[in-house]
Amino acid sequence: MHKLLAQQLAKATDESGSVDHAKLTGLVTAAYEDFDRDRRRTDRSMSLMIEEIDTVQRNLERTVVERTKELRARESELCAQNTRFDAALSNMSQGLVMFDADACVVICNQRYIAMYGLEADDIRPGRTLRYLLERRTARGTFSGDPEHFVGRLCATIKAGQTTTEFVELDDGRTIAIVSQPMADGGWVATHEDVTERRRAEMKIVHMARHDALTDLPNRVLLRERLSEALLHVERGQRLAVLYVDLDQFKNVNDSLGHPVGDELLRAVAGRLRGCVAETDTICRVGGDEFCIIQTEVGDATDAERLAVRIAEAIRAPYDLHGHLAVIDASIGIALAPADGTDATELIKNADMALYGAKADGRGVYKFFEADMDARMKERRTVELALRRAFDKGEFELYYQPMLNLDTGEVRCCEALLRWHHPTRGMVSPAEFIPVAEDIGLIVALGEWVIRRACADAARWPAQVSVSVNLSPTQLVNKGLLPAVLGALAASQLPPDRLELEITEAVLMQNSEVTLKVLHQLRSLGIRISMDDFGTGYSSLSYLRSFPFDKIKIDRCFIKGLGESSDAGAIVEAVAGLADSLRMTTTAEGVETREQLDLVRKLGCTDVQGFFYSPPVPVHELTKILAEEPRGKIAAA
Amino acid sequence: MRVQQITWSERSGWTPKFAPGPASLVLYFGTRQALADGARYDELRDMFPAAHILGCSTGGQINNSDVNDDEIVAAAVTFDATSLRLCRETVDDPQKSQECGEAIGRALAAADLAAVFVLSDGLNVNGSALVAGITKVIGPAVPLTGGLAGDGADFQETLVGGDCAPRTRTIAAVGLYGSAVRVGHGSAGGWDMFGPRRKVTKSVGNVLFELDGQPALDLYERYLGPDESKELPGSALLFPIQVYDLAHPDSAVVRTVLAIDRDRRSMTFAGDVPQGWTAQLMRGNLDRLVAGAAEAARQARSGREARDPGDHLSILVSCIGRRLLMGQRTIEEAEAVATELGAATPRLGFYSYGEISPHARSGRCELHNQTMTVTSLAEVA
Repeated sequence: MHKLLAQQLAKATDESGSVDHAKLTGLVTAAYEDFDRDRRRTDRSMSLMIEEIDTVQRNLERTVVERTKELRARESELCAQNTRFDAALSNMSQGLVMFDADACVVICNQRYIAMYGLEADDIRPGRTLRYLLERRTARGTFSGDPEHFVGRLCATIKAGQTTTEFVELDDGRTIAIVSQPMADGGWVATHEDVTERRRAEMKIVHMARHDALTDLPNRVLLRERLSEALLHVERGQRLAVLYVDLDQFKNVNDSLGHPVGDELLRAVAGRLRGCVAETDTICRVGGDEFCIIQTEVGDATDAERLAVRIAEAIRAPYDLHGHLAVIDASIGIALAPADGTDATELIKNADMALYGAKADGRGVYKFFEADMDARMKERRTVELALRRAFDKGEFELYYQPMLNLDTGEVRCCEALLRWHHPTRGMVSPAEFIPVAEDIGLIVALGEWVIRRACADAARWPAQVSVSVNLSPTQLVNKGLLPAVLGALAASQLPPDRLELEITEAVLMQNSEVTLKVLHQLRSLGIRISMDDFGTGYSSLSYLRSFPFDKIKIDRCFIKGLGESSDAGAIVEAVAGLADSLRMTTTAEGVETREQLDLVRKLGCTDVQGFFYSPPVPVHELTKILAEEPRGKIAAA
Repeated sequence: MRVQQITWSERSGWTPKFAPGPASLVLYFGTRQALADGARYDELRDMFPAAHILGCSTGGQINNSDVNDDEIVAAAVTFDATSLRLCRETVDDPQKSQECGEAIGRALAAADLAAVFVLSDGLNVNGSALVAGITKVIGPAVPLTGGLAGDGADFQETLVGGDCAPRTRTIAAVGLYGSAVRVGHGSAGGWDMFGPRRKVTKSVGNVLFELDGQPALDLYERYLGPDESKELPGSALLFPIQVYDLAHPDSAVVRTVLAIDRDRRSMTFAGDVPQGWTAQLMRGNLDRLVAGAAEAARQARSGREARDPGDHLSILVSCIGRRLLMGQRTIEEAEAVATELGAATPRLGFYSYGEISPHARSGRCELHNQTMTVTSLAEVA
């Protein structure tokens, strides 16, 4: 019997043992009802549970679909991003390698591979840096000890430092390498070919210190080198600073044009290079100025010798694309430690010495003297006075007559410039003409002289001409012809009453241009004389180059007459030569009767000198012109 | 120690009849209807003038291996070396449950406190809060067992009496002192979890509003079906829920419904249903419930030695929900306990609205539902 039924039976049975059937039935029925209810409840729970599970499952499935979609989308986005990264990596101009904390390659780009001539397999992920360097060594794109390199690099990475290194490859390329540590202990290295940039940088550095035209060091570098060299001077050595200025360079530039001028400068630079020692430095410090630092100087004679060498080198003629040019050099020399131990002082003193050299007539070298400063100041005073003089009309023309030996008539008067300084009195042309040349006043002054001379001469008797000296500077100046024409026009002086005297120096330079101008002047009717004949290089050859009208024999020959027969022979020969070439001859500087008679005898046609008259102001000249000259110079 | 069991029935009155004699403690359990007029208490008082008399209303009585509704069961215990103290608190407001617990704790606390047995009103008390209040004072080392009084399946009114006639809104507890007393305890359920894990998305204390964002009452009505839904809250006892904190799986406790609010769609449980905890529905299977009862008995027995001299008393506090499910076969769980403890051991107990016992796994004293708890007492010489 089922336990429950036994219990129920027991419950329904009273003490006497009789069963209360109703009670029993009730209990049993209740039990069945309980079971039914239980069953239904369980059934119900089951169905609901299945439903719930179903719903949960559907939700899960939906979630999975959504998540999968999300993942797919993210995947494709990642893919796209990877493609972008790939593109960026492949196209960046630098080579890139990423290493992990164990110095193994994580990723690298094509540029890196190409840069070092590697193959893709050399650098696949996982390769060590060490291996990489060995491969590069094999291809010649790495030199050094790989072990040491790796050790050093890893140490800096560990310290968290970003390093930038410049590496020169065997093939001449320069690569800039930046290694940047990452948080996880690895690092990223970017390699950039900076060869061109480096070259440009170096070029800029070079250009900052060098002259573009001649590639010589410039002022900046001059100072640096000089300061450096002066350090050695402290230890007992000597050095010299030579300041070189090119005379007549401006003329070349003006007459032949700037390209030729540049050519000339380059040529000069080349010649200077040939003069100096390895340890010396040549600098271009100005338009036509050069500065040389001469080390290994024993004493002043070493500097002197160099100066002479330089001057000779510069003086030699230049052929500049068919143009012949001749220039000279003025050189100022300062010695260290005697003339200074400081760069600025030395350069200043060399400059003053140069100024002195120019004042001395150019084409010379001059050592710095302690009183140059004073002299320079003096010269400056003269310069200023000169400029003022021009404005204030302190100049005056004196005239020295030239007489014809036959007729005893005054044929021509040479105009000579005089300066009445308000306080100093008469200043000789020898003193102020060079200064005028220096300060560029000579052209204006020259033009004034021509105008004045023409104007004065216009008032003289018709047979008297006026003679004006022309300097080389004037002759190459483009304004000369117009000035002459202007002067003639203004004074109404007939051109054939104007004579222009030039020296050999004029013909020495720029002969083509000069000759052209001379011909132009001559074609106007103006007469051209060669002055100071016999004192230059090759006077004779110059006679051939141009149809001069007159030769003026230099006073040194006249002075020698009577003392030696050589002078007489020369004078006779020149007179004869001139006659053959249909030129007149004027003997300059005749001071005595004897000289007068001699020159007449030797064949000169005219005389000029103190014997007859010194240079006199114009109002005195008119008196002389009115006189009967014959008496004085008539033949005995 | 000595235990005398007596029973009261309508027909026979108290049997066996005792002459007034010494006893330290008398425990009694009966239906509300039977206890309401207090006459039974008076009679017990006459019989045992010196004892502390502690009892409550129930959802059924356990008398050894029998389960019934029409008797009042009682046991008179005479201790040799153990002293007792009884205290009583009135709880006006369930919010004051913890306060009351602490007061009880303070009243009973002592250095030699060995165990506490508490009976509480079953409808107006937050059982978890009460337990927390008591254990806060007496500490985790002192075993606290007991239960919430019941009212059958009516859920109207529960009565508790401690040295007085049983009344509503009362909590009474007895403390056992000394080193002679041995207390064993055990608790086990036997319910099966079924269905998906749900989240307690809205709850306040022991009132549950929503699971997974849906009204909890909706869920219960669906599972109970239209007929059994009509019998809420009683029928909800068939589907207790297990709640636990995901972070502390050891915290799992079973909760039974005490009341429902059809308007607010809320369900009031005997203990806290913390918001954010995980909840899972449970269902009962007879065999496993019976096995659970056996397990509880085994745990209690392992707490003491069979050779402890004198009588051992086992107090069984089981849950009304188990009774409702097992129906006529509820008796089988009492029999299972008998098998474990021995048929000669005096056993009495009741079906409650909540069981108080240390958690089998965590050892912490908790309020349980749908659980068989066994407390066994013995004295060593």
